[in-house]
Amino acid sequence: MPRTITIDHVTRIEGHAKITIQLNDDGKVADTKFHVTQVRGFEKFVEGRPYYEMPSITARICGICPISHLIASVKACDAIMAVQIPEPARLLRELLHCAQFVQSHALSFFYLSAPDMLLGMDSDPALRNVLGLAASHPELVKDGIALRKFGQQAIERLAGERIHPSWTVPGGVNKPLSKENRDFILSEVPIAKSVIRRTLKFFKGALDNYKEEIETFGNAPSLYAGLVDYDGHLNFYDGRLLFKDADGQPIASVTRPIDYQKYMAEADLTSSYLKAPYYKPIGYPEGIYRVGPLARLNVIDSCGTPEADAELAEYRQRFGPIAESSYLFHYARLIEALFGVERMEQLLENPDILAPHVRATAGVNALEGVGIAEAPRGTLIHHYKVDEKGAIVWANLIIATGHNNLAINRSIKQVAEHFVDGNQMKEGMLNRVSAVVRAYDPCLSCSTHAIGVPALQIELRSAQGELLHRVDQD
Amino acid sequence: MQPTLTIDGKTVVIEGERNLLELIRKANIDLPTFCYHSELSVYGACRLCIVQIEGRGIQGACSTPPEPGLKVQTTTPEIREIRRIAVELLFSERNHVCSVCVSNNHCELQTLAAKLGITNIRYPYSYPKLKADLSHRRYVMDQNRCILCSRCVRTCAEVEGAHVWDIAGRGVQSRLIAELCQPWGTSRNCTDCGKCVQSCPTGALAEKGYAVEEMTKRSEPITRLAAHRGASL
Amino acid sequence: MSKARIATVWLDGCSGCHMSLLDIDEGILAIAAKADLVYGPLVDAQEFPANVDVTLVEGAVSSQDDLKLINKVRKNTRVLVSLGDCAVTANVPAMRNGIPPKALLARIYTKPPTDGVPALLKNALPVHEVVKVDLHVPGCPPKPEAIGFVLGELLEGRKPDLAGKVKFG
Repeated sequence: MPRTITIDHVTRIEGHAKITIQLNDDGKVADTKFHVTQVRGFEKFVEGRPYYEMPSITARICGICPISHLIASVKACDAIMAVQIPEPARLLRELLHCAQFVQSHALSFFYLSAPDMLLGMDSDPALRNVLGLAASHPELVKDGIALRKFGQQAIERLAGERIHPSWTVPGGVNKPLSKENRDFILSEVPIAKSVIRRTLKFFKGALDNYKEEIETFGNAPSLYAGLVDYDGHLNFYDGRLLFKDADGQPIASVTRPIDYQKYMAEADLTSSYLKAPYYKPIGYPEGIYRVGPLARLNVIDSCGTPEADAELAEYRQRFGPIAESSYLFHYARLIEALFGVERMEQLLENPDILAPHVRATAGVNALEGVGIAEAPRGTLIHHYKVDEKGAIVWANLIIATGHNNLAINRSIKQVAEHFVDGNQMKEGMLNRVSAVVRAYDPCLSCSTHAIGVPALQIELRSAQGELLHRVDQD
Repeated sequence: MQPTLTIDGKTVVIEGERNLLELIRKANIDLPTFCYHSELSVYGACRLCIVQIEGRGIQGACSTPPEPGLKVQTTTPEIREIRRIAVELLFSERNHVCSVCVSNNHCELQTLAAKLGITNIRYPYSYPKLKADLSHRRYVMDQNRCILCSRCVRTCAEVEGAHVWDIAGRGVQSRLIAELCQPWGTSRNCTDCGKCVQSCPTGALAEKGYAVEEMTKRSEPITRLAAHRGASL
Repeated sequence: MSKARIATVWLDGCSGCHMSLLDIDEGILAIAAKADLVYGPLVDAQEFPANVDVTLVEGAVSSQDDLKLINKVRKNTRVLVSLGDCAVTANVPAMRNGIPPKALLARIYTKPPTDGVPALLKNALPVHEVVKVDLHVPGCPPKPEAIGFVLGELLEGRKPDLAGKVKFG
């Protein structure tokens, strides 16, 4: 008799989600659904606010990655003001953003996913968390705390607050960096590097333990998207948005931010507040693409910093020029964290980082602005339209994790089909289904937003659920 | 013999002060105020400077003239509670989202709430649908943040002399309006001086382009100017 | 002597208050020594358990799921703490109040989802407008020192005096 197993709720992720697994008569998995159960409504309620309030308002979308929203938002505001910000401000914004990547990736790896990696997928759920891990692996947890602290302290020194700072503003930043703060952050870099080196060494050494996960956790081809700067390097702050196909061939390059609309559209799902973006030229659902650490390492030529590039070379040697398994998000995240620290060091050593003029001022000079940045979880786009007086009339937020919705759905199905047996249910089977979601490090409070003008879809399905006919209208 | 009264048991000499509040401040006792401004006409609306006067009950210190022999208490448990309620009701009446306000960390309402130890509002929020007026080329008026203290009204009328602002309506329907209830940017009398912005205790009036937490106000130049001109009616 | 049982919950929030909690850095290990974290986004428990000593609640009550959960939390918790402005005042989530949920969803979806997702309440509400709250800790987010102080005091059986430690915003 067919029945449904519900994971209510997915734990150790950011945000709210449930998973339903439909079993057929044999107890095998017939279908899965990923329900994101939270919607915020930001794009609607910001209508009428002055555009220069958007950075701090949109920061409240997420407490883990507020900096990413601040960055994408101020870039959209810069476009509305039609200013080119002073170079020191650009360096400072990139520095802040790198610090955020380090702390966010540390949270994801150590606090959220390491319990599965070290205690095991089947371990006692009561202990399978960062505090349980602290008892059995104290040094690793201390490392995780230290790495997150490095990032958060850097943010505090730069921006005045660890969470929801108001330092990044349209036109630049509102205070230059002091020598004292610069020296402090620089002095902490060696600790951060040594933590990441240790962790990479551990993870690479343990790869054999994760063979089954690498095989089955969202291991399937897809397109990939991410920002690449003009040297082909990894860049969290700016660059062109590059799409590559499953074989690593570039298929689209967006240099004018507003052109993202040519390549990204989205479909409504009946069972999730999170919509499903897809690559428009190919269509839904074949146009599935992934963003985030795995995708970024696939679309760039190289990181652009020495140690991260050495790690990247080894990573590509093991898994090929295009890594496909979503389990490798964890490995890619560590390489990105290393790049983040190295890039911070480069920026801190640039004497211009202490320059006093860090803000351009202007009024409304364009009625539309788009800001694209990479967030820890993927490409983030803020798109605003204003009236001549500066009031927001329309806003569109395309959030990192949202791009991965189709991939997450597909990965859940793959893991469930491989591990879940309705005839002999074990908690560890369900934990694995949740764990593949964790690999994407989703930020679900962030992700449930409007994307562009939604494509209208009408589907005709048979009683057995088979798709008979579909009409797409843009 | 000089005329005196007592404030919190202390004898204070009356030396031409215009109201009890001035005497209380002369005695170095701190009383919160929103609507009171030393150089503007007395409004007596916010009820924060209330004091207990023996034989007379609870009265506003700003609007009570000094009289010899009065016995004044500036803080009693009842007064403390009324002050608290007044501030909480202000928060409940409109949409004060401190975290994303241009005046965050520079706001008199926010600061007073913290000083009074207010950590939550015990009255149901009204969630009125209110807008921000961005029609002026330099300034913004956000109804969500207004506490109807009318400092802007009196500053514009009595110091600048333009009288752009007024308060229309009654009770919770009261609204600050520009001239004949029109967008501020269409005002004929506004001189763009910005004094109203500087006199506003919250983020209701602000200068465009000042992002969240950036709108700091400087009211001392206006106070000096007004005192110099003898603007008070 | 058994350890205290603490829980954390996020409703319609951004997780910033949880991040501020983690910003006590190494201090989390001292808390772990004194208390068991029996429910929350950081641990794997699927059901909110009984006999919880302290629950930190982040976020406004915005959907049917939030409503169900907060009622369960109140029923099973001795000291319920509203953590952060979203829980204490409804903060940014309440900026959607005054817009009918239907209009909100119509802006976002051509066809809003209906299967397995909770309906939105008319308004996003502060927690104390739904259940009784024992302690309010405002801030967006509250400083880690304040959160650490609150937990420390509660675990010693004292009501924290928050004077000078917290403010809205």
